[in-house]
Amino acid sequence: MKISSADGFGHPAMSRRRFVGGTALATGAFAIISRSARAQVTPGIGVDFNSPATTPWVWPLAFARHAVPLPAWKRLDPLPIPAAHQRYDEFAPVKFYDMTVSECLSRPHPQLAASPATAYQGSVPGVTFMGRYGEPVLCRVRNHLPASMQGFGSSDIITHVHNGHHASESDGWPGDWYGPGQFKDHHWPHIYAGGDWREAKGTLWYHDHRMDYTAQNTYRGLAGFFLLFDHLDSGDENDPSLDAFRLPSGVPDGSRWRGCYDIPLVFTDRRYDPNGQLVMDVMNMDGHLGDKYLVNGRVQPYFEVERRKYRFRLLDGGPSRYYLFAMSNGMSFQHIANDGNLLPNPIETDHVDLGVAERADIVVDFSQVPEGVNELYFVNRLLQVSGEKPTDTILPLAESGQLLKFIIRPETGVPDNSQVPSSLRPLPEMNTPVVRTRDFRFNRRNGMWTVNGNVFDHNRTDVTFKRGTAEIWRISSSGGWAHPVHMHMEENRILTYNRKPVDSGILNCRKDVFNLYPGDEMELYVRFRDWLGRYAMHCHNTVHEDHAMMVRIDVVP
Amino acid sequence: MIQQDKTRSIAADGGALDRRSALRALLIPAGAAVLGGCSTATRLVQQAPDVADGGLGRTRFEPDGTRRFRNHVLYDQDGRKVRFHDDLVRGQVFAASFGYVSCRGICGRISNNMLEASALLGGAMGNPVRFYNFSLAEDSPSDMREAMEFRGIYGKPGWTYLTGSPEAIRDIRCSFGFFDAGEEDTQGDPATHTGMVRFGNHALDKWSSCPGLGNPANIARSVVWLFPSDRRPQVVGTEYEGSNNARPIPGWTPPAPLTAQG
Repeated sequence: MKISSADGFGHPAMSRRRFVGGTALATGAFAIISRSARAQVTPGIGVDFNSPATTPWVWPLAFARHAVPLPAWKRLDPLPIPAAHQRYDEFAPVKFYDMTVSECLSRPHPQLAASPATAYQGSVPGVTFMGRYGEPVLCRVRNHLPASMQGFGSSDIITHVHNGHHASESDGWPGDWYGPGQFKDHHWPHIYAGGDWREAKGTLWYHDHRMDYTAQNTYRGLAGFFLLFDHLDSGDENDPSLDAFRLPSGVPDGSRWRGCYDIPLVFTDRRYDPNGQLVMDVMNMDGHLGDKYLVNGRVQPYFEVERRKYRFRLLDGGPSRYYLFAMSNGMSFQHIANDGNLLPNPIETDHVDLGVAERADIVVDFSQVPEGVNELYFVNRLLQVSGEKPTDTILPLAESGQLLKFIIRPETGVPDNSQVPSSLRPLPEMNTPVVRTRDFRFNRRNGMWTVNGNVFDHNRTDVTFKRGTAEIWRISSSGGWAHPVHMHMEENRILTYNRKPVDSGILNCRKDVFNLYPGDEMELYVRFRDWLGRYAMHCHNTVHEDHAMMVRIDVVP
Repeated sequence: MIQQDKTRSIAADGGALDRRSALRALLIPAGAAVLGGCSTATRLVQQAPDVADGGLGRTRFEPDGTRRFRNHVLYDQDGRKVRFHDDLVRGQVFAASFGYVSCRGICGRISNNMLEASALLGGAMGNPVRFYNFSLAEDSPSDMREAMEFRGIYGKPGWTYLTGSPEAIRDIRCSFGFFDAGEEDTQGDPATHTGMVRFGNHALDKWSSCPGLGNPANIARSVVWLFPSDRRPQVVGTEYEGSNNARPIPGWTPPAPLTAQG
């Protein structure tokens, strides 16, 4: 599972890629990423859209604050309406959040401007939700945006918890958007799908899903982490419970990050005008690529780490870039979760391959870094020059895009009690009888993104799915485009990838994003349980999604 | 009527040549040849002397945050000369589609959808909303007018069909993002030419796009969504057939938009 030779790729999609040696390519992150920008033919983009130069590793890595529930004595005003939600009384909320979406100024780097951003609770990325199975939550999301904002972004919002197992009315269905001066209550019951603890999800994220404006709104700042814990993945590396995994723990809360070893990292790429203001190529139908790498909203930050184990929760925040993550010294690490779902067993690897909206949890042990080495980089080895898909080129480590600098501090003397158990969360059986098979071809026709030749209509039901049944869905990408296909409400299993059975490796897991490269085909085992109503399956290259590459699924009794 | 197949080359199609002569007479500046002999770049510069050449489809930003497109010379269905940026884009709210009168592919369905969408937009058509259709095949103004009459569009408020040199139309199409390296030379081919509709509110720099083959209500919605949320035209027939359960925030006052700080 290491990229040490051209043969041993763990990810099937890797086999088509090629390594680039020598110095034919430009060196350094900036050279490569700006080279990409030059090579890309992007009609419709302004002539001055190449970002100003920025000095890397100037600002430290930043962290969003934790979302704070209302104190016990305080009630939402007006009160929530239980009848508006499925199974509200059964999973009565024990925590209430009152979150505001408003404009704020966000400065990603001292050499760039503070640009107007759209923010969850004044934070870019949005505040981090720390949830726990068995503790249902109600979150009110208030739209405090102005009636109109100059440039990209809509004043209408609808919040989707990506990979949330939620009722349709709380899922953030793209047609459920609402405008300024309104609020909407989301009931997040935090239950296992089908009541099965093996269905636990860990690293989720929430983002805006406003129909046709998802790319613009998330690019403008509407995305944040949404973490879930349970008795096994308890978020405490010193948990005395014998069942607990005791993975590296402690999620940073704003400026409180010392002693925290469970680190969410959202990777995005952005572009800035000569004045350092955030700009977006809204005319591009293929996808938008930035020429600056950001981590947690800052351009190329640094992070001080101790010589111990860290859990990093990696998220490809899009809108259109793919990543092949690695450590600059080629060191290996433990890949413990795919799409935020803990694997049956950790996989040792030296790379992680992510498409848009995919997540990976990894545990990096900095105590394995040789003494005397005090600086390392987290790099992206994948070359991408257009928004529609990455190239097949894997860059040498020394020439890869540098995303984040780790500064390794001396020993702190605090014992590292965390561990990576050899067994994590087992996979549930696929024992629900399959009642039918469907095909979904993600394609392009006359410059339009289509699924089975159709374009999205939020008033048209494309799939009627009987709750509690199982189906086989064959999804495929025709033509020369890549599509990270995302399914709402339930995560599913890949049975075959390009007609080969998937019964081991990193794809033998529960997933909610299925990364189709050109010509790929996957067979999925699909279930929708517990909830009814409208859900979506769509391409999560949000530019494709906004141009109607979406399917409406109605889950019915 | 609109039956001529104009996808063939002009040299191979004498009939089409005659029918286009009117357009050519309008387009050819003194001493410049439209067919060959004059490079694309030269002609783009001739047509857009006020915009520096930044490549195909390039736009630039004005200090007020709006986009400036190349000011191509175009002709409408009545043969009137118009400028792309000054007359069609600047300060306008519009939906733009691409096609040509003799298309036997997707144009018919897209035109019908646009027509239905304009009917849904009702009184908003003309002021403030305009619908444009750009000819991908050098249709003459009279051809376009005939096609509009055939579809019952001619004379309806807000509708304009536009024709111009292939280079101008290509630049406009690319500036709207309808570009595909693999399809670049086949935009006259009904099997592949773009079916996307571009929506723009120039003053607010709001842009979106949706497929022209979808539900006409989605086209009308996309236009409505270009407006500030408190000033949207009321359009019947585009309602979402569901409920978002959203409620008003008590005592809410709208905030002013933020501006950037250097």
